[in-house]
Amino acid sequence: MLNIALPKGRLGDKVAALFDSAGLGCAQLSDPGRKLVFEDTGQGLRYMLVKPSDVAIYVAHGAADVGVAGKDVLVEGNYDLYELLDLGFGRCDMCIAAKNGYVEDPTRPVRVATKFPNIASAYYRSINREIEVIKLNGSIEIAPLLGLSDVIVDIVETGATLKENDLRVCEKILPVSARLIANKASYRFAADRIDRMSQTLKGALQ
Amino acid sequence: MSYRDTMPKEDVLALELPAVYESFSYRKYSMAKFEEYSFYSDHRKFLPDAGIIAFNNSDGRLMALKPDITLSIVKNAKLTEQGCARLYYNDTVYRMREDTHDYREIRQIGAEALGQVDAYTQAELCYLALCSLAKIDPDFILSVSHMGLAVHYADTLPLSHGLKKQLIRFVASKSLHEIRSLCEGQRLDPEITERLCGFSALRGTLAEVLPALTGLCVDQTMREAAKELAALERELSGTPYADRICFDASVINHIDYYNGLIFQGSVRRCPFPVLSGGRYDLLAGRIRARAQAIGFAVYLDGLNLYYPTVTEGDADVFILCGEDTAGLLEQVRALTDAGKTVRVGKDPNGVRAGQILRYEEGKLC
Repeated sequence: MLNIALPKGRLGDKVAALFDSAGLGCAQLSDPGRKLVFEDTGQGLRYMLVKPSDVAIYVAHGAADVGVAGKDVLVEGNYDLYELLDLGFGRCDMCIAAKNGYVEDPTRPVRVATKFPNIASAYYRSINREIEVIKLNGSIEIAPLLGLSDVIVDIVETGATLKENDLRVCEKILPVSARLIANKASYRFAADRIDRMSQTLKGALQ
Repeated sequence: MSYRDTMPKEDVLALELPAVYESFSYRKYSMAKFEEYSFYSDHRKFLPDAGIIAFNNSDGRLMALKPDITLSIVKNAKLTEQGCARLYYNDTVYRMREDTHDYREIRQIGAEALGQVDAYTQAELCYLALCSLAKIDPDFILSVSHMGLAVHYADTLPLSHGLKKQLIRFVASKSLHEIRSLCEGQRLDPEITERLCGFSALRGTLAEVLPALTGLCVDQTMREAAKELAALERELSGTPYADRICFDASVINHIDYYNGLIFQGSVRRCPFPVLSGGRYDLLAGRIRARAQAIGFAVYLDGLNLYYPTVTEGDADVFILCGEDTAGLLEQVRALTDAGKTVRVGKDPNGVRAGQILRYEEGKLC
């Protein structure tokens, strides 16, 4: 049995459609109701639906052999996993954004509000800029408006939320999309099967 | 039922693995739990990123609880000019958890060959790694690669140090799409991209992949690496574990530490590698002039979680007694001498016992 961790929610719907078109899905995947674990015994697949940010954790700890997770989550968590395929959807960018008219003061550290402290720190470290990270869990856009931070580091899909809150993208720092991931130890024992799955999904994407 | 079923896996291996190493004349290497801090700070780049536990000795010297065993062995082992010291250890290291920043004690067993390492020694040590994995679980795989292949090739490319590291990370995560994206972004020759992707995609037994692997080599270092793997395959092909060795270019470990053959062992039950090792002349040569070295460590830490012991209860017999216990010990002894485990108490609730007996008026009933 191959255990697959898939994200719930908006990304999950796209993943379910892809698995379905690749012949890897099952009826419950498109309409799971409240059930979180279900099996396709015919194909030897067990699916588990989890919070998108938790998929990589399930795979890293071996509770799932493979999974689908966003690149943002993978980079932030720095998990030791195989990233086998870029599924191409859920495309957005990890961006630095600030209030319209913001001018950076080079004489002091930049205050950065973000859900992604590791990505933000790594980026600013790469340009040798000192920052003060303010970790938030949601509604990041509000931080510069209330003077909590100078900038935010967050994922931007269309930019509509930024626009509505008088913010603008200053810089794109990481392209993000959904990725097929695998636990390294699991892969070693099911490499043929996982590679076949990866190829099938790749074929369905084309 | 044997001790293998009832003892924690970590203890079973601590009992069984030394005999494997001793049968190949590896000698036990024992060391103190701490060493001068300056030794570790001088070789910081060879150590895990997490912190070292330091404290002041009574004479004012700053000491450290051992964060790594190999460093101590390389520094302190007695070597002869032409010989090769064969050592094993069964010891603990102290490291910080990267997620919680708590310190933890980690038990490790491993084997090291230090001095002049020839092809035979290399094959022998890999065989010991295979034997160690077989002791953990018969369902295992030893994934091997060589630092002279993809890592060396990435190092020869006209890229910044940061991009080379990124490229090596993509090879280690089998991210062919990221390799392509980076190479295209840097306008590298498409042939370079295909070669890197070729390494990353290659997998199978050594015998299966060697022809394709040799075809991907473009310079002397890579060809030498492929030859070393071919020699290893020849040496190990006659062993009972030949079909358990696979080539996997994603096996990349500390690039400042390892320089040649590199390997990682996995068992089906565990979601992490349980053994890791390789050729580490870069480290050995820095501490001991001209020394070569190869070794591996078995990570006992965490194995107990995936190999639960079989518990049949707290005792075979529970003896329920009152206030009068005169003569009871003799009755208990008779049972234990007959091979039973016995617990005596006034309340059997919460005790998992195969049989409950009552002790009344000097008799069991």
